[in-house]
Amino acid sequence: MKGTLAIYRREMLSLWITPLAWVILVAFLLLQGISFYLLVQHFTNMTNLSIDSGPVQAYFGQSIFLVFSLLIICPALTMRLFAEERRSGNIEALMTLPVTPTAVVLGKYLATLSTYALMWLPTLLYIVILRKTGDVSWPVVGASYIGVFGVGAGYLAIGILMSAMSRSQLLAAILTVLVIFGLFMMGIGEYIFPPGIMRDVSSHVSVLRQMDDFSKGIVDLRRIVFDLSLTVLPLFLTVRVVDSWRQD
Amino acid sequence: MIDVRNLTKDYGTVVAVRDLSFEVGAGEVVGFLGPNGAGKSTTLRILGGFLGATTGSVSINGFDIVDDSLKARGCIGYMPEACPLYPEMRTREYLRFRAEAKGVSRSKRSAAIDRAMELARVSEMADTLIQHLSKGYRQRVGLADALVSTPPLLILDEPTAGLDPNQIRDVRTVIRELGDSHTILLSTHILSEVEATCDRAIVIDRGELQAEGTIDELRDMRRAAGARLVLGSLGSSREEVAVSTAEDVPGVFIAKVEPSHKHTVLTATFDDDIDDAGAALAALVAALVAAGFDVREAAPTKASLEDVFAQLTVGAKS
Repeated sequence: MKGTLAIYRREMLSLWITPLAWVILVAFLLLQGISFYLLVQHFTNMTNLSIDSGPVQAYFGQSIFLVFSLLIICPALTMRLFAEERRSGNIEALMTLPVTPTAVVLGKYLATLSTYALMWLPTLLYIVILRKTGDVSWPVVGASYIGVFGVGAGYLAIGILMSAMSRSQLLAAILTVLVIFGLFMMGIGEYIFPPGIMRDVSSHVSVLRQMDDFSKGIVDLRRIVFDLSLTVLPLFLTVRVVDSWRQD
Repeated sequence: MIDVRNLTKDYGTVVAVRDLSFEVGAGEVVGFLGPNGAGKSTTLRILGGFLGATTGSVSINGFDIVDDSLKARGCIGYMPEACPLYPEMRTREYLRFRAEAKGVSRSKRSAAIDRAMELARVSEMADTLIQHLSKGYRQRVGLADALVSTPPLLILDEPTAGLDPNQIRDVRTVIRELGDSHTILLSTHILSEVEATCDRAIVIDRGELQAEGTIDELRDMRRAAGARLVLGSLGSSREEVAVSTAEDVPGVFIAKVEPSHKHTVLTATFDDDIDDAGAALAALVAALVAAGFDVREAAPTKASLEDVFAQLTVGAKS
């Protein structure tokens, strides 16, 4: 789409030449490092490992650190996307470009999505370390990364929508955290509700359950569809919001 | 090049633009003139595609800004009033982004950026971070951005706002140069700017069209030349005599008196077709002196574009 690439490049440049992306990266890797360290500590004291509860499963599927770190980095990556453009007034220069709102939203979104993916890249080192001490199942690793990518894609799309809906970055970040946290709490319902429709719904939207499945190498298409809807719907709404500014 | 028909913009609480229609032909340099809050920026934002109109239509270069929005925007080099830019980028990086987003092909991009920087006179700041640029330079980066895709039409919202006198002169020179090869619509509340740069002006106030025409046509709209005389304090009967004496002088169309504390001010307006206002003033003074009035001051009043502007905009309020 015309203009998407230009906007993508500008967002990437601005993210990585300012300290923002680096600060987020450091915070993220610190959390992941602590998580990995604790897991390794835990597993070095174990003699018997079952096939589906190794360190990879624990790292991706049974760790609260994952959700916690997403709760921090996703809002931080998306909060400025539109809120800052509107605060500074740059939005006027942006909207008078011969580019559709869809191209603007997509360019900005893809920039945060690839930044997010780049942030996960260093964690591949953990897999390399694990391989030194034992066997690592590549399908499990692949499925786990698909899982974190899917969850992140949805959270970032929510973040961009919140940024379009608020004039201040802080408000955008808080709203994003609230929505992500809300989704997480809905997932917790799986452990609270009695068997029935509510528990099924909770299980369906649960990020913990999703990561648990994916980290065992189960790529459930329903979860992919859920992540995809959680991505496409907010992006669609963002385009509508951006388009509506013309009628302010 | 620009065709605006019955444009209205209603913000809900305020009607910023009311039933505005005007045209700008290809190659013209037109000043869009009005006091602050007249609806200039709103109109330009609608033309630029940043805001939607409530009713009415706008076409740019034959493209409707709603139905053919992208093509219409593609014809415009738009410079917003504030020119905020991205402070973390370098001038050249910013212009490269803008050129790419405006669809300047990769092979032509570098040349287009160099040309735009040269025209806007920011070449020496090509590799400076925008956050380190002064207000004047930022304004010029905004101008370079408007020029980078070589659009036929430039829309400049208050291009000299916030600049010092030297910078204002520079920007005006640049605009005049650009006027040879572009159609330009620029907004301003400063009259001398229109006189210095434009062929034609459109005057709006409180969202409505007040006048439209070449600079000379607008000057002709001024009230005719006249004179202002200060006489000694008069009683009301003598005031009437003063007015009738003044109106009897050939060339004087109408006269008025305004008594004040210590003296009386007599303002005379000459006939529209008067040839020699100086002679008429001399005759007026002579007639008043002959009638025994104490003429203390006499000065010709010549309507400037400023008066026209004041008449058109302030006059409309009363």
